[in-house]
Amino acid sequence: MTPALDISHLRKVYRGGTVAVEDVSLTIQPGDFFGFLGPNGAGKSTTIHCITGISNPSSGTIKVFGVDAVANYREARKLVGLSPQEFNVDPFATARNIVDWMGGYFGMPKALRKARTEMLIERFDLVPHANKPFRELSGGLKRRVILARAMVHDPKLLILDEPTAGVDVELRMQLWGYLQELNRDGKTILLTSHYLEEIERLCRNIAIVAGGRIIRNGPKEEFFTEPGGLERAYLAATGKSADHVSAGAA
Amino acid sequence: MNWIGLWTMVRREIQRLARVPIQAVVAPLISALLFIFIFGFVVGGRIRNFGQFNYLEFVLPGVVMMNVISAAFLQATSQIYFQRFQKSIEEILVAPLSYVEMIAGTVSIVVLRSVFTAVGIMVIGWLFGAVHMKSLPEFLFWVVFVSMIFGFLGIIVALWAKTFEQLNILMVFFIQPLAMVGGVFNTVAMLPPWLRFLAYGNPLFYFINGLRHSMIGFTEVNEWLGAMLTVGLTAVLGGIVWRLYAIGWGLRE
Repeated sequence: MTPALDISHLRKVYRGGTVAVEDVSLTIQPGDFFGFLGPNGAGKSTTIHCITGISNPSSGTIKVFGVDAVANYREARKLVGLSPQEFNVDPFATARNIVDWMGGYFGMPKALRKARTEMLIERFDLVPHANKPFRELSGGLKRRVILARAMVHDPKLLILDEPTAGVDVELRMQLWGYLQELNRDGKTILLTSHYLEEIERLCRNIAIVAGGRIIRNGPKEEFFTEPGGLERAYLAATGKSADHVSAGAA
Repeated sequence: MNWIGLWTMVRREIQRLARVPIQAVVAPLISALLFIFIFGFVVGGRIRNFGQFNYLEFVLPGVVMMNVISAAFLQATSQIYFQRFQKSIEEILVAPLSYVEMIAGTVSIVVLRSVFTAVGIMVIGWLFGAVHMKSLPEFLFWVVFVSMIFGFLGIIVALWAKTFEQLNILMVFFIQPLAMVGGVFNTVAMLPPWLRFLAYGNPLFYFINGLRHSMIGFTEVNEWLGAMLTVGLTAVLGGIVWRLYAIGWGLRE
Protein backbone atom coordinates (compact mmCIF):
# COMPACT_ATOMS: atom_id res chain seq x y z
CA MET A 1 0.00 0.00 0.00
CA THR A 2 1.29 3.48 -0.86
CA PRO A 3 2.09 5.33 2.38
CA ALA A 4 0.15 8.51 3.13
CA LEU A 5 3.43 10.17 3.94
CA ASP A 6 6.89 8.89 3.20
CA ILE A 7 9.81 11.06 4.30
CA SER A 8 13.28 9.84 3.49
CA HIS A 9 16.52 11.35 4.82
CA LEU A 10 15.03 14.84 5.13
CA ARG A 11 17.50 17.55 6.02
CA LYS A 12 16.83 21.23 6.45
CA VAL A 13 19.54 23.79 7.00
CA TYR A 14 18.50 27.42 7.34
CA ARG A 15 20.47 30.32 5.94
CA GLY A 16 23.09 30.99 8.55
CA GLY A 17 23.80 27.32 8.98
CA THR A 18 21.28 26.27 11.63
CA VAL A 19 20.43 22.61 11.11
CA ALA A 20 16.72 22.32 11.97
CA VAL A 21 16.12 18.80 10.67
CA GLU A 22 18.82 16.14 10.31
CA ASP A 23 18.23 12.90 8.43
CA VAL A 24 14.57 12.43 9.31
CA SER A 25 12.90 9.37 7.79
CA LEU A 26 9.30 8.59 8.56
CA THR A 27 6.47 6.57 7.07
CA ILE A 28 2.81 7.09 7.90
CA GLN A 29 0.29 4.62 6.55
CA PRO A 30 -3.10 5.70 5.17
CA GLY A 31 -5.71 5.97 7.90
CA ASP A 32 -3.14 6.36 10.66
CA PHE A 33 -3.40 8.86 13.48
CA PHE A 34 0.23 9.75 13.96
CA GLY A 35 1.66 11.73 16.86
CA PHE A 36 4.76 13.86 16.43
CA LEU A 37 6.17 14.72 19.82
CA GLY A 38 9.11 16.88 20.71
CA PRO A 39 10.25 19.89 22.70
CA ASN A 40 10.28 23.42 21.29
CA GLY A 41 12.83 23.77 18.50
CA ALA A 42 13.03 20.02 17.96
CA GLY A 43 12.26 20.30 14.25
CA LYS A 44 8.58 19.31 14.22
CA SER A 45 7.26 22.47 12.58
CA THR A 46 10.17 22.63 10.15
CA THR A 47 9.42 19.08 9.02
CA ILE A 48 5.78 20.04 8.54
CA HIS A 49 6.80 23.18 6.64
CA CYS A 50 8.90 21.06 4.30
CA ILE A 51 5.94 18.72 3.67
CA THR A 52 3.55 21.57 2.91
CA GLY A 53 5.77 23.89 0.86
CA ILE A 54 6.37 26.62 3.41
CA SER A 55 10.04 25.61 3.60
CA ASN A 56 12.37 24.23 0.95
CA PRO A 57 14.00 20.97 2.07
CA SER A 58 17.80 21.08 1.78
CA SER A 59 17.92 17.39 0.85
CA GLY A 60 15.92 14.19 1.09
CA THR A 61 12.55 13.27 -0.38
CA ILE A 62 8.96 13.72 0.75
CA LYS A 63 6.13 11.79 -0.86
CA VAL A 64 2.46 12.33 -0.09
CA PHE A 65 0.42 9.30 -1.21
CA GLY A 66 3.29 8.54 -3.59
CA VAL A 67 3.43 12.07 -5.04
CA ASP A 68 6.75 13.90 -4.71
CA ALA A 69 6.11 17.07 -2.68
CA VAL A 70 8.91 18.96 -4.43
CA ALA A 71 8.98 17.72 -8.04
CA ASN A 72 5.18 17.42 -8.31
CA TYR A 73 4.27 19.96 -5.68
CA ARG A 74 0.87 20.98 -7.09
CA GLU A 75 -0.51 17.44 -6.96
CA ALA A 76 1.00 16.85 -3.53
CA ARG A 77 -0.51 20.07 -2.13
CA LYS A 78 -4.03 18.98 -3.14
CA LEU A 79 -3.76 16.03 -0.75
CA VAL A 80 -2.69 17.97 2.32
CA GLY A 81 -4.49 20.30 4.72
CA LEU A 82 -2.44 22.26 7.24
CA SER A 83 -3.42 23.87 10.50
CA PRO A 84 -0.21 25.71 11.44
CA GLN A 85 0.98 26.63 14.87
CA GLU A 86 0.96 30.37 14.11
CA PHE A 87 -2.07 32.33 12.89
CA ASN A 88 -0.96 33.00 9.31
CA VAL A 89 -3.99 34.96 8.10
CA ASP A 90 -5.05 38.45 7.12
CA PRO A 91 -6.25 39.71 10.52
CA PHE A 92 -8.77 42.07 8.93
CA ALA A 93 -10.49 39.32 6.92
CA THR A 94 -13.62 37.67 8.28
CA ALA A 95 -13.68 34.06 9.45
CA ARG A 96 -16.00 33.12 6.58
CA ASN A 97 -13.75 34.73 3.98
CA ILE A 98 -10.63 33.04 5.37
CA VAL A 99 -12.20 29.60 4.97
CA ASP A 100 -13.80 30.40 1.63
CA TRP A 101 -10.59 31.83 0.13
CA MET A 102 -8.65 28.72 1.03
CA GLY A 103 -11.27 26.64 -0.77
CA GLY A 104 -10.82 28.94 -3.75
CA TYR A 105 -7.04 28.51 -3.77
CA PHE A 106 -7.61 24.78 -3.91
CA GLY A 107 -9.77 25.25 -7.01
CA MET A 108 -13.09 24.31 -5.40
CA PRO A 109 -16.12 25.49 -7.40
CA LYS A 110 -18.28 28.11 -5.69
CA ALA A 111 -21.22 25.85 -4.75
CA LEU A 112 -19.00 23.16 -3.22
CA ARG A 113 -16.84 25.75 -1.47
CA LYS A 114 -19.86 27.49 0.01
CA ALA A 115 -21.36 24.21 1.25
CA ARG A 116 -18.08 23.10 2.86
CA THR A 117 -17.44 26.54 4.38
CA GLU A 118 -20.89 26.72 5.95
CA MET A 119 -20.68 23.12 7.19
CA LEU A 120 -17.33 23.79 8.88
CA ILE A 121 -18.47 27.12 10.33
CA GLU A 122 -21.40 25.31 11.89
CA ARG A 123 -19.28 22.35 12.97
CA PHE A 124 -16.84 24.59 14.83
CA ASP A 125 -19.58 26.77 16.37
CA LEU A 126 -18.45 29.80 14.43
CA VAL A 127 -21.87 30.88 13.14
CA PRO A 128 -22.18 33.98 15.40
CA HIS A 129 -18.58 34.96 14.59
CA ALA A 130 -18.40 34.14 10.88
CA ASN A 131 -18.56 37.75 9.69
CA LYS A 132 -16.28 39.21 12.34
CA PRO A 133 -12.71 40.18 11.45
CA PHE A 134 -10.22 37.54 12.58
CA ARG A 135 -8.38 39.99 14.84
CA GLU A 136 -11.55 40.53 16.91
CA LEU A 137 -11.91 36.85 17.76
CA SER A 138 -10.66 35.21 20.96
CA GLY A 139 -7.69 32.81 20.85
CA GLY A 140 -9.94 29.76 20.86
CA LEU A 141 -12.16 31.08 18.08
CA LYS A 142 -9.10 31.94 16.00
CA ARG A 143 -7.87 28.37 16.39
CA ARG A 144 -11.24 27.06 15.20
CA VAL A 145 -11.07 29.24 12.07
CA ILE A 146 -7.60 27.90 11.30
CA LEU A 147 -8.82 24.33 11.71
CA ALA A 148 -11.85 24.94 9.49
CA ARG A 149 -9.55 26.46 6.87
CA ALA A 150 -7.32 23.38 6.93
CA MET A 151 -10.29 21.09 6.28
CA VAL A 152 -12.19 23.08 3.68
CA HIS A 153 -10.87 21.10 0.70
CA ASP A 154 -11.36 17.77 2.50
CA PRO A 155 -7.68 16.72 2.32
CA LYS A 156 -6.62 13.07 2.54
CA LEU A 157 -3.78 13.98 4.90
CA LEU A 158 -4.52 16.45 7.66
CA ILE A 159 -1.52 18.01 9.40
CA LEU A 160 -2.25 19.70 12.71
CA ASP A 161 0.61 21.59 14.29
CA GLU A 162 -0.34 22.04 17.94
CA PRO A 163 -4.02 22.55 17.14
CA THR A 164 -5.19 22.74 20.75
CA ALA A 165 -2.56 25.19 22.01
CA GLY A 166 -4.40 27.94 23.87
CA VAL A 167 -7.90 26.53 23.49
CA ASP A 168 -10.26 25.81 26.36
CA VAL A 169 -11.06 22.33 27.65
CA GLU A 170 -14.49 22.27 26.04
CA LEU A 171 -13.17 22.98 22.55
CA ARG A 172 -10.29 20.58 23.09
CA MET A 173 -12.71 17.77 23.89
CA GLN A 174 -14.93 18.74 20.97
CA LEU A 175 -11.97 18.82 18.62
CA TRP A 176 -10.69 15.46 19.81
CA GLY A 177 -14.08 13.96 19.09
CA TYR A 178 -14.16 15.49 15.64
CA LEU A 179 -10.62 14.34 14.81
CA GLN A 180 -11.43 10.79 15.94
CA GLU A 181 -14.52 10.86 13.76
CA LEU A 182 -12.51 12.06 10.76
CA ASN A 183 -9.91 9.38 11.39
CA ARG A 184 -12.59 6.68 11.67
CA ASP A 185 -13.83 7.84 8.26
CA GLY A 186 -10.38 7.11 6.86
CA LYS A 187 -8.58 10.44 7.05
CA THR A 188 -4.89 10.25 7.84
CA ILE A 189 -3.87 12.68 10.57
CA LEU A 190 -0.44 13.89 11.62
CA LEU A 191 -0.64 15.68 14.94
CA THR A 192 2.03 17.56 16.83
CA SER A 193 1.36 18.49 20.40
CA HIS A 194 2.98 19.31 23.69
CA TYR A 195 0.17 17.57 25.52
CA LEU A 196 1.18 13.96 26.11
CA GLU A 197 -2.38 13.23 27.15
CA GLU A 198 -3.60 14.35 23.73
CA ILE A 199 -1.12 12.18 21.86
CA GLU A 200 -1.85 9.26 24.17
CA ARG A 201 -5.58 9.57 23.66
CA LEU A 202 -5.67 10.10 19.90
CA CYS A 203 -2.66 8.58 18.20
CA ARG A 204 -1.90 5.02 17.17
CA ASN A 205 1.73 5.62 16.25
CA ILE A 206 4.16 8.06 17.77
CA ALA A 207 7.52 9.56 16.84
CA ILE A 208 9.60 11.53 19.30
CA VAL A 209 11.85 14.13 17.74
CA ALA A 210 14.65 16.07 19.41
CA GLY A 211 17.54 18.09 18.03
CA GLY A 212 16.21 17.68 14.50
CA ARG A 213 16.33 13.88 14.63
CA ILE A 214 13.78 11.18 15.27
CA ILE A 215 14.81 9.58 18.53
CA ARG A 216 12.04 7.00 18.82
CA ASN A 217 9.30 5.86 16.51
CA GLY A 218 6.75 3.13 16.98
CA PRO A 219 3.23 2.03 17.89
CA LYS A 220 1.72 3.66 20.96
CA GLU A 221 1.59 0.34 22.81
CA GLU A 222 5.39 0.11 22.72
CA PHE A 223 5.64 3.22 24.86
CA PHE A 224 3.08 2.02 27.36
CA THR A 225 4.62 -1.36 28.04
CA GLU A 226 7.57 0.45 29.60
CA PRO A 227 7.51 1.69 33.18
CA GLY A 228 6.52 5.38 33.29
CA GLY A 229 4.73 5.16 29.96
CA LEU A 230 4.94 7.84 27.34
CA GLU A 231 6.04 10.57 29.73
CA ARG A 232 9.16 8.73 30.81
CA ALA A 233 9.89 7.64 27.26
CA TYR A 234 9.54 11.23 26.08
CA LEU A 235 11.81 12.62 28.79
CA ALA A 236 14.37 9.91 28.22
CA ALA A 237 14.31 10.41 24.47
CA THR A 238 14.77 14.15 24.82
CA GLY A 239 17.71 13.69 27.17
CA LYS A 240 15.96 14.31 30.48
CA SER A 241 14.62 12.10 33.19
CA ALA A 242 11.43 12.50 35.20
CA ASP A 243 13.56 12.83 38.35
CA HIS A 244 15.65 15.54 36.74
CA VAL A 245 12.53 17.48 35.73
CA SER A 246 11.00 17.09 39.21
CA ALA A 247 14.19 18.30 40.84
CA GLY A 248 14.29 21.28 38.50
CA ALA A 249 10.71 22.16 39.31
CA ALA A 250 11.42 21.94 43.05
CA MET B 1 -4.55 26.07 -14.95
CA ASN B 2 -6.15 26.67 -11.54
CA TRP B 3 -8.49 29.48 -12.70
CA ILE B 4 -10.57 29.40 -9.52
CA GLY B 5 -7.40 29.77 -7.42
CA LEU B 6 -6.21 32.62 -9.58
CA TRP B 7 -9.57 34.40 -9.40
CA THR B 8 -9.59 33.90 -5.63
CA MET B 9 -6.29 35.76 -5.39
CA VAL B 10 -7.81 38.62 -7.39
CA ARG B 11 -11.11 38.86 -5.50
CA ARG B 12 -9.35 38.62 -2.15
CA GLU B 13 -7.14 41.57 -3.07
CA ILE B 14 -10.13 43.55 -4.38
CA GLN B 15 -11.76 43.03 -0.98
CA ARG B 16 -8.58 44.21 0.74
CA LEU B 17 -8.46 47.33 -1.46
CA ALA B 18 -12.11 48.00 -0.68
CA ARG B 19 -11.03 48.40 2.94
CA VAL B 20 -8.61 51.21 2.00
CA PRO B 21 -10.46 53.20 -0.71
CA ILE B 22 -8.81 56.53 0.08
CA GLN B 23 -5.33 55.11 -0.29
CA ALA B 24 -6.14 52.91 -3.29
CA VAL B 25 -8.51 55.06 -5.33
CA VAL B 26 -9.01 58.60 -4.07
CA ALA B 27 -5.37 59.60 -3.40
CA PRO B 28 -4.05 59.03 -6.95
CA LEU B 29 -7.05 60.79 -8.47
CA ILE B 30 -6.65 63.86 -6.24
CA SER B 31 -2.94 63.93 -6.99
CA ALA B 32 -3.67 63.71 -10.73
CA LEU B 33 -6.34 66.40 -10.47
CA LEU B 34 -3.85 68.77 -8.85
CA PHE B 35 -1.18 68.02 -11.49
CA ILE B 36 -3.66 68.62 -14.29
CA PHE B 37 -5.02 71.78 -12.71
CA ILE B 38 -1.68 73.39 -11.79
CA PHE B 39 0.63 72.25 -14.57
CA GLY B 40 -1.90 71.82 -17.31
CA PHE B 41 -4.56 74.41 -16.65
CA VAL B 42 -2.92 77.23 -14.64
CA VAL B 43 0.66 77.10 -15.98
CA GLY B 44 -0.27 75.54 -19.32
CA GLY B 45 -2.81 78.27 -19.97
CA ARG B 46 0.12 80.67 -20.35
CA ILE B 47 2.07 78.43 -22.74
CA ARG B 48 0.46 79.18 -26.06
CA ASN B 49 2.78 77.81 -28.72
CA PHE B 50 3.38 74.17 -28.01
CA GLY B 51 3.31 72.57 -31.40
CA GLN B 52 -0.18 71.71 -32.51
CA PHE B 53 -1.29 70.74 -29.00
CA ASN B 54 -2.11 72.78 -25.97
CA TYR B 55 0.05 72.12 -22.94
CA LEU B 56 -2.65 70.26 -21.04
CA GLU B 57 -3.09 67.77 -23.89
CA PHE B 58 0.67 67.26 -23.90
CA VAL B 59 0.96 66.82 -20.12
CA LEU B 60 -2.03 64.53 -19.57
CA PRO B 61 -0.40 61.30 -20.94
CA GLY B 62 2.59 61.89 -18.68
CA VAL B 63 0.36 62.36 -15.64
CA VAL B 64 -1.52 59.18 -16.54
CA MET B 65 1.72 57.23 -16.92
CA MET B 66 3.21 58.53 -13.66
CA ASN B 67 0.12 57.39 -11.81
CA VAL B 68 -0.01 54.03 -13.59
CA ILE B 69 3.60 53.40 -12.55
CA SER B 70 2.95 54.48 -9.00
CA ALA B 71 -0.27 52.43 -8.67
CA ALA B 72 1.40 49.31 -10.10
CA PHE B 73 4.47 49.51 -7.90
CA LEU B 74 2.56 50.30 -4.71
CA GLN B 75 0.01 47.58 -5.34
CA ALA B 76 2.65 44.89 -5.84
CA THR B 77 4.83 45.93 -2.91
CA SER B 78 1.97 46.35 -0.45
CA GLN B 79 0.24 43.12 -1.48
CA ILE B 80 3.31 40.89 -1.26
CA TYR B 81 5.03 42.59 1.66
CA PHE B 82 1.92 42.62 3.85
CA GLN B 83 1.26 38.97 3.07
CA ARG B 84 4.84 38.17 4.04
CA PHE B 85 4.58 40.32 7.16
CA GLN B 86 1.34 38.62 8.28
CA LYS B 87 2.56 35.24 7.01
CA SER B 88 -0.72 34.94 5.09
CA ILE B 89 1.47 34.30 2.02
CA GLU B 90 1.64 30.75 3.42
CA GLU B 91 -1.99 30.31 2.36
CA ILE B 92 -0.79 30.63 -1.22
CA LEU B 93 2.32 28.50 -0.70
CA VAL B 94 0.38 25.49 0.66
CA ALA B 95 -2.21 25.67 -2.14
CA PRO B 96 -1.97 23.79 -5.47
CA LEU B 97 -0.98 26.91 -7.40
CA SER B 98 1.94 26.91 -9.81
CA TYR B 99 4.51 29.68 -9.59
CA VAL B 100 3.10 31.15 -12.79
CA GLU B 101 -0.40 31.18 -11.26
CA MET B 102 0.88 32.79 -8.04
CA ILE B 103 2.59 35.53 -10.06
CA ALA B 104 -0.35 35.92 -12.47
CA GLY B 105 -2.73 36.36 -9.54
CA THR B 106 -0.61 39.19 -8.15
CA VAL B 107 0.07 40.86 -11.49
CA SER B 108 -3.60 40.67 -12.56
CA ILE B 109 -4.66 42.87 -9.68
CA VAL B 110 -1.71 45.18 -10.37
CA VAL B 111 -2.93 45.64 -13.96
CA LEU B 112 -6.55 46.05 -12.87
CA ARG B 113 -5.67 48.76 -10.36
CA SER B 114 -3.46 50.54 -12.90
CA VAL B 115 -6.15 50.47 -15.60
CA PHE B 116 -8.70 51.71 -13.07
CA THR B 117 -6.37 54.56 -12.08
CA ALA B 118 -5.70 55.44 -15.74
CA VAL B 119 -9.41 55.50 -16.53
CA GLY B 120 -10.09 57.70 -13.48
CA ILE B 121 -7.46 60.23 -14.58
CA MET B 122 -8.80 60.16 -18.13
CA VAL B 123 -12.22 61.09 -16.77
CA ILE B 124 -10.65 64.04 -14.93
CA GLY B 125 -8.79 65.00 -18.12
CA TRP B 126 -12.03 64.75 -20.05
CA LEU B 127 -13.62 67.24 -17.64
CA PHE B 128 -10.80 69.64 -18.59
CA GLY B 129 -11.39 68.91 -22.28
CA ALA B 130 -7.90 67.44 -22.72
CA VAL B 131 -8.55 63.82 -23.67
CA HIS B 132 -7.70 62.54 -27.13
CA MET B 133 -7.45 58.91 -28.12
CA LYS B 134 -5.61 58.21 -31.33
CA SER B 135 -5.37 54.46 -30.72
CA LEU B 136 -7.13 52.68 -27.84
CA PRO B 137 -5.27 49.33 -28.38
CA GLU B 138 -1.95 51.20 -28.27
CA PHE B 139 -3.08 53.04 -25.11
CA LEU B 140 -4.02 49.73 -23.46
CA PHE B 141 -0.73 48.19 -24.56
CA TRP B 142 1.24 50.87 -22.73
CA VAL B 143 -0.89 50.85 -19.60
CA VAL B 144 -0.93 47.05 -19.32
CA PHE B 145 2.74 46.39 -20.12
CA VAL B 146 4.12 49.25 -18.05
CA SER B 147 1.98 48.24 -15.08
CA MET B 148 3.30 44.68 -15.46
CA ILE B 149 6.89 45.96 -15.45
CA PHE B 150 6.37 47.93 -12.26
CA GLY B 151 4.31 45.12 -10.79
CA PHE B 152 7.27 42.77 -11.27
CA LEU B 153 9.67 45.37 -9.84
CA GLY B 154 7.32 45.81 -6.89
CA ILE B 155 7.25 42.05 -6.27
CA ILE B 156 11.07 41.88 -6.32
CA VAL B 157 11.34 44.78 -3.86
CA ALA B 158 8.65 43.26 -1.60
CA LEU B 159 10.45 39.91 -1.55
CA TRP B 160 13.73 41.60 -0.73
CA ALA B 161 12.50 44.12 1.86
CA LYS B 162 12.96 43.39 5.54
CA THR B 163 11.32 46.61 6.72
CA PHE B 164 8.53 48.94 5.56
CA GLU B 165 11.18 51.62 5.04
CA GLN B 166 12.92 49.56 2.35
CA LEU B 167 9.72 49.35 0.31
CA ASN B 168 10.04 53.04 -0.59
CA ILE B 169 13.69 53.12 -1.63
CA LEU B 170 13.18 52.33 -5.32
CA MET B 171 10.17 54.63 -5.60
CA VAL B 172 11.76 57.64 -3.90
CA PHE B 173 15.27 57.42 -5.31
CA PHE B 174 14.71 56.01 -8.79
CA ILE B 175 11.16 55.77 -10.10
CA GLN B 176 9.87 59.23 -9.17
CA PRO B 177 13.02 61.12 -10.30
CA LEU B 178 13.16 59.15 -13.56
CA ALA B 179 9.47 59.86 -14.18
CA MET B 180 10.00 63.57 -13.59
CA VAL B 181 12.89 63.76 -16.06
CA GLY B 182 11.22 61.32 -18.44
CA GLY B 183 9.27 63.91 -20.41
CA VAL B 184 6.10 64.31 -18.39
CA PHE B 185 6.21 68.11 -18.53
CA ASN B 186 8.59 68.80 -21.40
CA THR B 187 9.87 67.51 -24.71
CA VAL B 188 13.43 66.29 -25.13
CA ALA B 189 13.99 69.20 -27.51
CA MET B 190 13.41 71.57 -24.59
CA LEU B 191 16.37 70.10 -22.72
CA PRO B 192 19.92 71.39 -23.31
CA PRO B 193 21.69 68.98 -25.72
CA TRP B 194 24.11 67.80 -23.02
CA LEU B 195 21.16 66.70 -20.85
CA ARG B 196 19.25 64.80 -23.52
CA PHE B 197 20.98 61.55 -22.65
CA LEU B 198 18.94 61.66 -19.45
CA ALA B 199 15.83 61.18 -21.54
CA TYR B 200 17.10 58.71 -24.11
CA GLY B 201 18.77 56.55 -21.47
CA ASN B 202 15.68 56.59 -19.29
CA PRO B 203 13.21 53.73 -19.86
CA LEU B 204 10.39 55.82 -18.39
CA PHE B 205 10.83 58.33 -21.22
CA TYR B 206 9.86 55.58 -23.73
CA PHE B 207 6.80 54.62 -21.66
CA ILE B 208 5.57 58.22 -21.43
CA ASN B 209 6.38 58.88 -25.07
CA GLY B 210 4.52 55.73 -26.11
CA LEU B 211 1.40 56.62 -24.15
CA ARG B 212 1.53 60.14 -25.52
CA HIS B 213 1.71 58.76 -29.04
CA SER B 214 -1.33 56.57 -28.41
CA MET B 215 -3.31 59.58 -27.18
CA ILE B 216 -2.27 62.57 -29.28
CA GLY B 217 0.03 61.05 -31.91
CA PHE B 218 3.07 63.03 -30.71
CA THR B 219 6.37 61.13 -30.51
CA GLU B 220 10.03 61.99 -30.14
CA VAL B 221 11.43 58.51 -30.84
CA ASN B 222 10.31 55.59 -32.93
CA GLU B 223 7.44 54.18 -30.88
CA TRP B 224 8.26 50.64 -32.05
CA LEU B 225 11.66 50.92 -30.40
CA GLY B 226 9.92 51.81 -27.16
CA ALA B 227 7.40 49.01 -27.57
CA MET B 228 10.16 46.42 -28.13
CA LEU B 229 12.07 47.71 -25.12
CA THR B 230 8.90 47.45 -23.03
CA VAL B 231 8.03 43.90 -24.12
CA GLY B 232 11.67 42.84 -23.59
CA LEU B 233 11.81 44.39 -20.13
CA THR B 234 8.49 42.74 -19.20
CA ALA B 235 9.80 39.34 -20.29
CA VAL B 236 13.11 39.73 -18.43
CA LEU B 237 11.51 40.93 -15.18
CA GLY B 238 8.78 38.29 -15.45
CA GLY B 239 11.48 35.63 -15.83
CA ILE B 240 13.38 36.95 -12.82
CA VAL B 241 10.22 36.93 -10.67
CA TRP B 242 9.37 33.39 -11.82
CA ARG B 243 12.86 32.25 -10.85
CA LEU B 244 12.59 33.92 -7.43
CA TYR B 245 9.28 32.15 -6.80
CA ALA B 246 10.73 28.83 -7.94
CA ILE B 247 13.64 29.03 -5.50
CA GLY B 248 11.43 30.56 -2.82
CA TRP B 249 13.59 33.67 -2.34
CA GLY B 250 11.91 35.81 0.31
CA LEU B 251 8.92 33.45 0.28
CA ARG B 252 10.00 30.20 1.83
CA GLU B 253 12.16 29.60 4.83
